[in-house]
Amino acid sequence: MVQLVGSLRKELADSLSSCRVLVVGAGGIGCELLKNLVLTGFKNIEVIDLDTIDVSNLNRQFLFQKKHVGKSKAQVAKESALQFCPTANITAYHDSIMNPDYNVEFFRNFMLVMNALDNRAARNHVNRMCLAADIPLIESGTAGYLGQVTVIKKGLTECYECQPKPSQKTFPGCTIRNTPSEPIHCIVWAKYLFNQLFGEEDADQEVSPDTADPEAAWNPEEAAARATASEKDGDIKRVSTKEWARSTGYDSIKLFNKLFKDDIMYLLTMDKLWKKRKAPLPLDWQQLENHARPQEDSPGSGLKDQQVLGIWGYCKLFQHSVETLRSQLEQKGDGAELVWDKDDPPAMDFVTAAANLRMHIFSMNMKSRFDIKSMAGNIIPAIATTNAVIAGLIVLEGLKILSGELESCRSIFLNKCPNLRKKLLVPCVLDPPSANCYVCASKPEVTVKLNVHKSMVVFLQDKILKERFGMVAPDVQIEDGKGTILISSEEGETEANNSKFLSDFGIRNGSRLQADDFLQDYTLLINVLHTEDLEKDVEFEVVGDAPDKAPPPPSNQEETNSITNGNKDSAQPSTSSKAPAEADDVMIVDSDEEEEGASSSSSAAAATSGTKRKHQDAETGEASAKRPRTDQSSAAAADDDDDDIIALD
Amino acid sequence: MIDMIEKEEPIISEEEAAQYDRQIRLWGLDAQKRLRGSRVLLVGLGGLGAEVAKNLILAGVKGLTLLDHEQVTEESCRAQFLVPVTARGQNRAQASLERAQYLNPMVEVRAYPDRPEDKPDDFFLQFDAVCLTGCSRDLMVRVDQLCSQRNIKVFCGDVYGYYGYMFSDLGKEHHYALRIFCSLKEALEVDWTSEKAKASLKRTPVDYFLLHVLLKFRTDKGRDPDPQSFAEDSQLLRQIRDDVLESLAVSGDLLSDDFVSYCFSEMSPVCAVVGGVLGQEVVKALSQRDAPHRNFFFFDGRKGNGVVDYFGPN
Repeated sequence: MVQLVGSLRKELADSLSSCRVLVVGAGGIGCELLKNLVLTGFKNIEVIDLDTIDVSNLNRQFLFQKKHVGKSKAQVAKESALQFCPTANITAYHDSIMNPDYNVEFFRNFMLVMNALDNRAARNHVNRMCLAADIPLIESGTAGYLGQVTVIKKGLTECYECQPKPSQKTFPGCTIRNTPSEPIHCIVWAKYLFNQLFGEEDADQEVSPDTADPEAAWNPEEAAARATASEKDGDIKRVSTKEWARSTGYDSIKLFNKLFKDDIMYLLTMDKLWKKRKAPLPLDWQQLENHARPQEDSPGSGLKDQQVLGIWGYCKLFQHSVETLRSQLEQKGDGAELVWDKDDPPAMDFVTAAANLRMHIFSMNMKSRFDIKSMAGNIIPAIATTNAVIAGLIVLEGLKILSGELESCRSIFLNKCPNLRKKLLVPCVLDPPSANCYVCASKPEVTVKLNVHKSMVVFLQDKILKERFGMVAPDVQIEDGKGTILISSEEGETEANNSKFLSDFGIRNGSRLQADDFLQDYTLLINVLHTEDLEKDVEFEVVGDAPDKAPPPPSNQEETNSITNGNKDSAQPSTSSKAPAEADDVMIVDSDEEEEGASSSSSAAAATSGTKRKHQDAETGEASAKRPRTDQSSAAAADDDDDDIIALD
Repeated sequence: MIDMIEKEEPIISEEEAAQYDRQIRLWGLDAQKRLRGSRVLLVGLGGLGAEVAKNLILAGVKGLTLLDHEQVTEESCRAQFLVPVTARGQNRAQASLERAQYLNPMVEVRAYPDRPEDKPDDFFLQFDAVCLTGCSRDLMVRVDQLCSQRNIKVFCGDVYGYYGYMFSDLGKEHHYALRIFCSLKEALEVDWTSEKAKASLKRTPVDYFLLHVLLKFRTDKGRDPDPQSFAEDSQLLRQIRDDVLESLAVSGDLLSDDFVSYCFSEMSPVCAVVGGVLGQEVVKALSQRDAPHRNFFFFDGRKGNGVVDYFGPN
């Protein structure tokens, strides 16, 4: 005889009250999730978030109020949840999940882990921890009206990293420095400029004209000569932008004239660049001041931030923000650096002004602060309802897992509009693990193409192992028969190796490196493929799990769904100044192109022409185009998930 | 009651701009202004009602009126997150008021303890949109008829265990989408004996018929299936299923017995899903932006299926 406690079978209700679950993130999805868990009857919940509350969270993170701005999200979320369920046992951690305290043993305490994250790095990390601990993980993401939930179980399903996800789009250096053609190029330039002047100087974030631009040279010899000249300096003392600015006392007008007049005039001498492009027009402060007209106030129907000022308005904004930032820097003392933060008004003003001035120079229409903030801050719009739906789905998947019904778990996509089968929520059978996954395969292996003479050990550690392969604390040995240690996760131990080149250690074409992250219980074997032949601005390439395998060609789907893989690669909290973006990350989303028409992606074509993605049958592993239609006689028996048209990965 | 600043016309203050920033970036300033000028009535503060209340208050409507004659029980404290655990015996709408208001002090939230059946017609006519949860079929039909004539947007929704639905009637005229809606009465009174209807049965979500069964249960028993009376209610549900399918002249095989044990009580995650979709439909209608779902949304929490389908004449 069925016994119910509320809506649930008694056995399920009982297991809910005894099991422990972990919620990673207390933001948009996290608040909704915490509420659902508590109301559903989960009694032992731990929630972790490194972030603090911001006023822009309040439109959806409903456990927070205005008075909580600045406080820990995890802590306040816990307190608010306890208000409506005082008997729940909630533990809050104001901390990063990537802290080594949260080791495999920690994860093993839980029956279920649910991610409510907004960045790839943390997702990769939790993915590995759950694989290591063999705990089921429910992964999710939202962006605007779209959302997705999926279940990850070691050995049974794909892990988060089985499918390669494109990383954040970057632009070639010469586009940023010499030939911007879109507002985003100017915005990126402005952010680089901020760092060069006020923040941490980065060799990859040059703002001055790039004399080595291959496009600028009329012939190959000239290109070579330019390249050598720019590398060797000769008699020209290369002064960093920051040093130069300091030498002028951060004089805003001198800065203005250098960046927006002198440097532009220099670009104009690289005449080949302007043969087929509209040449930039240098600005002169004095001339602009003479011609300045009072800004006409636009009717007050829009937000102040949505107004677009005239050119003189941005000149003044530039001046004002430089002065403010200069004094911020002075206040911090010697050797101080500012970190760019979209929510810091002078920092945002600076980028708005500098980007617009540059746009104007390159004949682009200037943009409002509101729009620039979106682009510079990688803001993903977010609302309460999408998060509410996704969080509800997370709990429903969780109940299936706790009932031991893993085979009934699904990936579920939330669309903006119903698809051709009238589905707004599209459940899809979970895919089995990818045999070639460089994380969850039994002995993961990759091939990395790079120049061993030009790649430093610290580059391998930071850009390849941490950024690209998601390790947090890598240890690397060379498989040279001696087990030479290249990188140690213990601080200071291998620091001396950092600026040496890989070739200095005898690493060459065909060498193998063993990289471990002991916290993640993860070992990756790296085959080194030496090349002198990489594209400009590309410092390494991942080839695949065997040296002769080419990487999969990027599909249109990947490009259009650029939000799907998150604007945010790093795990810095949204309110920290280091955070590159603020987003409730989406993984892979079935887009709403059916409504908008065949704008750009292959999924639109697929949807409208009725082609179907091949599904892996979970039992046999065979790809089948279509499962046999079942009789529609009973709601429970009919399982036509696989007939659904879903976006290609 | 908290004193609210009366605004003549919907202008967005800097404070609102900061709070609503992430949604203004999605649906635009004009949409936010229209929301800012809208008044909504929400009937029923059970699990689903609380979700809708939260979503609309966060979205920034001008006013949300809560109407519920029920009292807070132990069950209600488990079902929704607005009612304090100490509020047992109080009126559910009034007990939800304080927390609802805290969600967003910029929205005027009011609460009334009356039965919706006892409210005169012109009570309903003061709103831009009306949202009915936990209401009888007769009440929903009456309010829908009354409001849609006056271009007041009508929404209905309920959650029964793992299942839930949402219905909308946006009337015959609206300017942002070339769609036509029908009344709830017409939607529920589809004639399944016609050849065309019979042919479409194969593609019809069975949730539609399940809805009929549950509305009939509610009408007959004056309440929803109760876990405390599981045995009797299960039997009654099966009986009503037989009667309903017969009276609609459709096959008794359409709805197997399976649903019976999964439609008790309001499940929180199902309320969240249905409340999210329903809340967003209200937002869309008030802001006059983006195509509305027409005219039903059915959610099956066991399968994770959420479908939109139209039921009505032609």
